[in-house]
Amino acid sequence: MSATIEYTPKDYKSDLKPIWCPGCGDFSVVQAIYRALAAIGRPPHEIAFISGIGCSSRIPGYTTAYGFNSVHGRSLPIAQGIKLANPDLLVLAAGGDGDGFSIGGGHLPHMVRRNMDIAYIVMDNQIYGLTKGQLSPTSQKGRSTCTSRHGSLEAPVNPLLYMLAYGAGFVAQACPTDLAGMAAIIEAAIRYPGFAFVNIQSPCVTYGEESQQLKSLKAISENLETIGHNPADRLAAMDLAQDYGDKLHLGVFYRNPEPPPTYGDLVKERQERLAKDAIPRENILDLFIKK
Amino acid sequence: MAIQGIDLARQSLLDALDLAILVEEEAQERYGEFADQMDQYRNADAARFFRHMVENEAKHGEELSSRREQRFGDAPRKVTRAMIFDIEAPDYDAARAFMTPRQAMEAALASELKARDFFEAALPSIQDAEVRELFQELRDEEVQHQALVQAELAKLPPDSGISPEAFVDEPAAQ
Amino acid sequence: MTDYSPGSRGMGQGAPTRKDLVFGMAGSGGDGIVSAGDSLLQAAAAEGYHGVMTKSFGSQIRGGESSCRVRISTEPILNPGGNLDVAVALNWEDFLKFGAELPVSGTTVVIYEAATNILPDNIPLVGVTPRQVIAVPIAKMAKDTAGTERAKNTVVLGLIAGWFGIGAVAVMKGIRKKLAKKGDELVEANQRAFDAGRAFALENPLTISMAIVPSETKGAVKLITDGNDMCAAAAIFAGCQFFGGYPITPSTEIMQFFTDRVWGYGGAVLQAEDEIAGIGAAIGASFAGKKSMTATSGPGLSLKTEMMGLASIAELPLVIVDVQRGGPSTGLPTKSEQSDLFAACFSAHGDVIRPVLAPTSVADTFRLTVEAFNIAEYYQTPVLLLSDQEISQRKETLDPIDTSQFVILDRLCPSGPDLKDYKRFKQTENFISPISFPGLAGGTYLASGIEHTENGAPTNSGTVHARMNEKRIRKLDPLKDRKDLFEVLGNPNAPLAMVAWGSVAGVCREALNMALNDGLNVKLMVPYLLYPVAEGAYRDFFASVRKGLIIEQTHLAQFHKLLRMHIDLPAGVRPLARSGANPFLPGEIVAALHNLLSELQRRHEGKLQPQE
Repeated sequence: MSATIEYTPKDYKSDLKPIWCPGCGDFSVVQAIYRALAAIGRPPHEIAFISGIGCSSRIPGYTTAYGFNSVHGRSLPIAQGIKLANPDLLVLAAGGDGDGFSIGGGHLPHMVRRNMDIAYIVMDNQIYGLTKGQLSPTSQKGRSTCTSRHGSLEAPVNPLLYMLAYGAGFVAQACPTDLAGMAAIIEAAIRYPGFAFVNIQSPCVTYGEESQQLKSLKAISENLETIGHNPADRLAAMDLAQDYGDKLHLGVFYRNPEPPPTYGDLVKERQERLAKDAIPRENILDLFIKK
Repeated sequence: MAIQGIDLARQSLLDALDLAILVEEEAQERYGEFADQMDQYRNADAARFFRHMVENEAKHGEELSSRREQRFGDAPRKVTRAMIFDIEAPDYDAARAFMTPRQAMEAALASELKARDFFEAALPSIQDAEVRELFQELRDEEVQHQALVQAELAKLPPDSGISPEAFVDEPAAQ
Repeated sequence: MTDYSPGSRGMGQGAPTRKDLVFGMAGSGGDGIVSAGDSLLQAAAAEGYHGVMTKSFGSQIRGGESSCRVRISTEPILNPGGNLDVAVALNWEDFLKFGAELPVSGTTVVIYEAATNILPDNIPLVGVTPRQVIAVPIAKMAKDTAGTERAKNTVVLGLIAGWFGIGAVAVMKGIRKKLAKKGDELVEANQRAFDAGRAFALENPLTISMAIVPSETKGAVKLITDGNDMCAAAAIFAGCQFFGGYPITPSTEIMQFFTDRVWGYGGAVLQAEDEIAGIGAAIGASFAGKKSMTATSGPGLSLKTEMMGLASIAELPLVIVDVQRGGPSTGLPTKSEQSDLFAACFSAHGDVIRPVLAPTSVADTFRLTVEAFNIAEYYQTPVLLLSDQEISQRKETLDPIDTSQFVILDRLCPSGPDLKDYKRFKQTENFISPISFPGLAGGTYLASGIEHTENGAPTNSGTVHARMNEKRIRKLDPLKDRKDLFEVLGNPNAPLAMVAWGSVAGVCREALNMALNDGLNVKLMVPYLLYPVAEGAYRDFFASVRKGLIIEQTHLAQFHKLLRMHIDLPAGVRPLARSGANPFLPGEIVAALHNLLSELQRRHEGKLQPQE
């Protein structure tokens, strides 16, 4: 790791011009990420930022980290491989609600149970924006979209409840309605020693409905700290998480007060333990010598 | 919370000046981003106005910077950008791809209002007289800036009432 | 009362003589340039013309740089066309980004926005002097008449009506209809903008007339649609009752058509959680006895691979539409290419043959989709329908299609005797065994991906495996004899040949006509069935051929290689293959043919017998 120099948010901003529509919530999210990374102070070249496919998945390209804009729904497996290969890297993953909870949904419980030190940010806007406005797994039931003009027949997934139920060690929600809070939450997620999940309500100004824009979200916002929620109480967190869609709870739902060793910790311990018995590579075939 | 880690009530004049400079800097950058966004969508009129605001904010920032330099030389700055959040910078949410110049000016107006409210709200608790004076000055300046934008607004013909969205193409699937 | 008749001033000297006009327009998404193209196409159709519209844009979500091409003709149109007859540039920065799609030549009339402050003799088109260059204060006219510069697109439509004689009445009729619910103010604003454009054109006639002759088929019914909607409509016509899929550009509209309509036919559609679940649901529906379909593009095809193999070994009918885009991986989502051919034919491990069909236009997408279902049902196999972004996204006028000409085939269901000791995978003479479905008493069987005996029981016997492979592969043999799935145009015994499939075939049809006009002895083969390779058809075609081109939008010359895997091509047949995104132009193909012709002639020089 490099010597400490002060990094400013600008140091994490690349020159690529975002394709996002002006007004997109993702602009605020990437700002918050710059701030969080500056607060943590790792050099940009020690950060790996992986995403899938979607409007929000373009985000690694707008940072100066090593970015990987991979394939739809597979940012997490790739992130795991990166972290295992080089545990010293700061590994971040990001994507949209479709990328994460539709095609990528199968990877979530495994991220949680392996508990690698990776922070995963989902920009939740209840729609598939990049492909022009289809139903997403977090779209409200009855919602009219390009692929549900007669109204969606499906109840939405609840990202917060699922992640809490899977047993994630850090679950939080943020929104550009509270910029300082959002930057602080992202920083806390990155600092959390283990797998951390942040759901960010990031409105789509092109396909989103009125009720999903920041003005309306402000009206249903509630700060978890203000209402006295104890982030060490998983069950209370799950109770609050059930309001997803009706209320916008902002803050940390759950943070494990005693984070267990991460997958990386356990791997490191094992590597150290078995190092002394490792046969030199050039003699590897000694294993097959008939005794 | 538009700020973090600053005690407005007890800040020194140096910190207050630095805060004011950063507020202008943040606004200047944001207007610059908006102008770039407008360029992407070939919205030249809105882009031009935002670049005009970039110049305005830069000027205000320079004035404050020279005052700071005269008074405090190159004393180290303790206030950082990480401590402020869109005090005068327009919300990202305020921009739209095909916004009219009127809508762009209204966004600027809203930002000046935001900043004015910020300085005004801090006044009652400020302990240092010079700092209070500075904040009053900053508040009044925001009111002036508003007036300037209002004047520009007045020069604009009324919006035709037809939304630009009525003519633009549908978004492109990618 | 304004004079809208085609003979009125503005269109240059003399009566209209043009039969074909290619318009290319570029600006930004905010300029509504694609909407203008659409209005023009609709108006042209209303006036009885044939029309084709394609569009192209940048990667910004709201459309940074945007362009469209509209080709209008009194004759059926074979392809969106080569050089532009009319170029409209609302700003030069964006126009220049579309060099490949909007090629300007010496016969182009260039109309551009005067507010760009560029003089007509100083436009930034390198190496070409257009026929005429006209600066028009489009934005100003829009502002003055409609109150907003954004009405530029309507002004452009007025200019086109005035100069080229298209859409004088029909454009505004269409706009009125489209905006009926949005209020009179908007409609009137559009009318004023349109009239202003038209008036400008009439007051500033072109130096040479480019007006198009009136169509003789005005009033005849015309269809307007694009490849995706056509595919979905054909599927419903063919009796498809289930669609399972996932959004992916450029195929999503097929799913959207189903989500809008299939319910009324007692069918169902599922936007699944991912591509694999989408095809999985479709396979399930097929197992349950329903005609079933999925649609995707390259990345989705890669994901669906395992399921495709399952459908093959389980002998389940299924139509898989792949609307190709630039590859590999995420590639170029909004550009056309033909590089999924190998994946279509060969992906999924094991010895599998999966029929691959390819339409060449919006019009024949109907026929080929119906055919895909027929082949899938009759042969009990997944069938890949390879469309591409060009066909799927382009809007075409079509003459009505008489659907009564189509035969719809259903899968062979077991009859009474079959159900006594029913064997799902019974060896039969034509290798097709009756297929039952849950709910049919006596027809119970185990479907699986594992190799199986005649009654579906899992087996690892090499003998049974060999027989089953033979069944699954040889049942498709008759496909290779389907002459109706190949089209040969031009001189049947020509020594010069072209082979092209998909959207490239359209370009080649036009190139063929140009080459024949040039006196070349040339022919074109358009295969609609790409796989299995109909060796007989190709051998017959190439028997007379000395020199030829296999023309395709793939960097690896995939189709050329596919043919060489199965037949010996004449030595002089070469690939004309390149990566997608930039379309082939008829002119460049004709030039390539001339090149081959001169080679052909040179090689024969030495064989001249001296005169005695």
